[in-house]
Amino acid sequence: MISADDYKKAKEGDLKAIENICVVTWEPLYRFIYYKVQNREEAEDITQETYVKTLTYLQKNNAPQKNFLGFMKTVSLNIIRDRWRRKKRAGVIVNFQEINPEETVNIDEQNDIAQRLFLKSALAKLSQEQQMILDLRIIKGYSVAETAKLVGKTEAAVRTAQHRALLALARILDDEG
Amino acid sequence: MSKYNTEEKVSDYIDALNNEQKSEIIGTTDDQELEKLMATVRLVRTLREPTLPEEGYPHRLAQAVSDKLKKEKQSSSNQSVKSAPKSIRRILPPMAALAASLLMLLLINWFGLFDQDVVYAMEKAVAQLSNYHGILEIRTKNAAGVEWLVRQVEIWSEDDKYAIKQDDGTVTVNNGQQKWQISQEKKEVVLLPLLPDPTGNSFDLRDEAKRAKQYPHTIVGSELVAGRQTTKLAISPPGGREYYLWVDTETNLPIQLQTAMQNALQTTYTFVSFEPNTEINPQRFAYQVPEGYQVVENNPGQLVATIEEAVAISGLNPLLPEQAPTRILAFEDGIVFDYGDTTIKETLPEGEFVLAPDAFLGTAASGQLEVWQERLRWRQDGIEIQVEGVQRVELARQIAPDLALPNSNQDLVSKAQVKVSVDKEIVEADQKQVDRGSSPWQLDPLQVALVFVNLKVTPEGIQGEPVIPMSSFKLVENNSAEAVVEVANGPIERVYLKKLVRQDDTGIWSVVGYDPR
Repeated sequence: MISADDYKKAKEGDLKAIENICVVTWEPLYRFIYYKVQNREEAEDITQETYVKTLTYLQKNNAPQKNFLGFMKTVSLNIIRDRWRRKKRAGVIVNFQEINPEETVNIDEQNDIAQRLFLKSALAKLSQEQQMILDLRIIKGYSVAETAKLVGKTEAAVRTAQHRALLALARILDDEG
Repeated sequence: MSKYNTEEKVSDYIDALNNEQKSEIIGTTDDQELEKLMATVRLVRTLREPTLPEEGYPHRLAQAVSDKLKKEKQSSSNQSVKSAPKSIRRILPPMAALAASLLMLLLINWFGLFDQDVVYAMEKAVAQLSNYHGILEIRTKNAAGVEWLVRQVEIWSEDDKYAIKQDDGTVTVNNGQQKWQISQEKKEVVLLPLLPDPTGNSFDLRDEAKRAKQYPHTIVGSELVAGRQTTKLAISPPGGREYYLWVDTETNLPIQLQTAMQNALQTTYTFVSFEPNTEINPQRFAYQVPEGYQVVENNPGQLVATIEEAVAISGLNPLLPEQAPTRILAFEDGIVFDYGDTTIKETLPEGEFVLAPDAFLGTAASGQLEVWQERLRWRQDGIEIQVEGVQRVELARQIAPDLALPNSNQDLVSKAQVKVSVDKEIVEADQKQVDRGSSPWQLDPLQVALVFVNLKVTPEGIQGEPVIPMSSFKLVENNSAEAVVEVANGPIERVYLKKLVRQDDTGIWSVVGYDPR
């Protein structure tokens, strides 16, 4: 439980107060960011930046204590968007649709669950082999060589199969989304 | 872009994510198809558990955030300072100016960054302190700069046991079972009541760590104290005068304290030798009467196993809290229940219930409750009860469920029929005077009311005994910020007082209103 006093002190940089806030909020925030960036180091960086930005904002404005986490998620999305925009300028591809800040209005557990169900039902429409390859490569995190051994195919065949599976999945998501 | 390349790029992208590499490694592309596939990979990846940070992340995160916030604060205040001395900046060559401001920024950040660390580390070190042996030196300096040694005491402390040896050889020991004092001069061993135990030294490591954390503090330097490298902290109690604490950089424990100059005197407590977490001979805390010494029993009480035994020894029918005590000490006229950090003392009341002058007032068992520092005291069913320590409120409520603490937000003074205007500057000057040790009567609402009322009667000043004596004044309300005093006779029936500068026990009282009779 974060007290009003913690918010007040945290704005001044009080370590204990910040720690109290972090202990309660870091995990859902980190997970949320991780889902967006899919990288631990980057998620840690953005989580940190989110706290700094939020607390700096609170130095001049009132704390939205009721939905502090939701507020921080919005801040984190803005940071992700800025970072990705910089990358875009640097020539790295980004998908802005994934990081639309408006969606934070609807960020809640239900929304996450709905998205997962939607994704799972889309995956279920792929062939058994395609599902298995995506599961091994992306969810379980096996290398191409390991996956090839597990499914009894050549590495090139695994790459081709995973490419086709992703194309098919993207199409299903487009059609149903 | 060939299909083979796209396949390979997607595969590399999956590997990069699996290996927790940042997505930049992918390089550049305008390939819409690739972009879409990568987004799909990320989406599928949301079905797996995120890779969580290493253990201790919330603490590291809080530390980094705290450091960053302070850095930003310091650099913004630095910027506002920087714009002032233009002439100096013009003289400095641009590179030198840049180097100087960088150095300044670095120094400011260095100190701003680490003062929280020092206090945090000290709090942790104090919490982990299992025992220590040290020699504490107490020195006083007057305003003219003359310093002298007041006394030196040797302290051994372990868990709830301690032994303190004074300069004159007197040793006071509390081993958790017994407390006694051995006087070499008188050749006697005086058995003292084990509980409650007010003995302690004025430089308590735990209290200092707590205070440093509570009050605003800054690092003001680094000094060598008794051969130890220390960080010097300036601590500013709100409205009070700044004092200093030196924290050993090796052990993170406070080893020196210097009070502010009070009444032209300044006291410095220094552990000239200090061994934390060391070996202490258990004999140090063992009760033994040296040969040729006389034992003096000063109603020291005795530890008993049951309430029945305590009742038999004390002749008192105690009021019992629900929570069972860890120890019971019975005296001829009282019983003490010990809860480790808190004690309950029950005795037969003597005379009228007289409140400590600087106590606050609550209610308990339909009567007055005295709240004084860490102590609660009231009377109930013909017994006087005193609860002292951390759990005092919880334990007291188990005896007197109606117990109500003073509420400092409660408005007591607005009902005054006549308002008295107060000059803020005078009050602040008075507060500073009291802080220096002069006119301590201003800390007592009864005394302040007495002076006010008597000056109404004899405006030319109080000479000799006041016309309306102290016995006519009675404190009826005191919530720590506001108080009401009733006057039995004279032109004023009720005086309303308020602490205008500080609301803690060092704040002075001012009369803000009264009811004429």
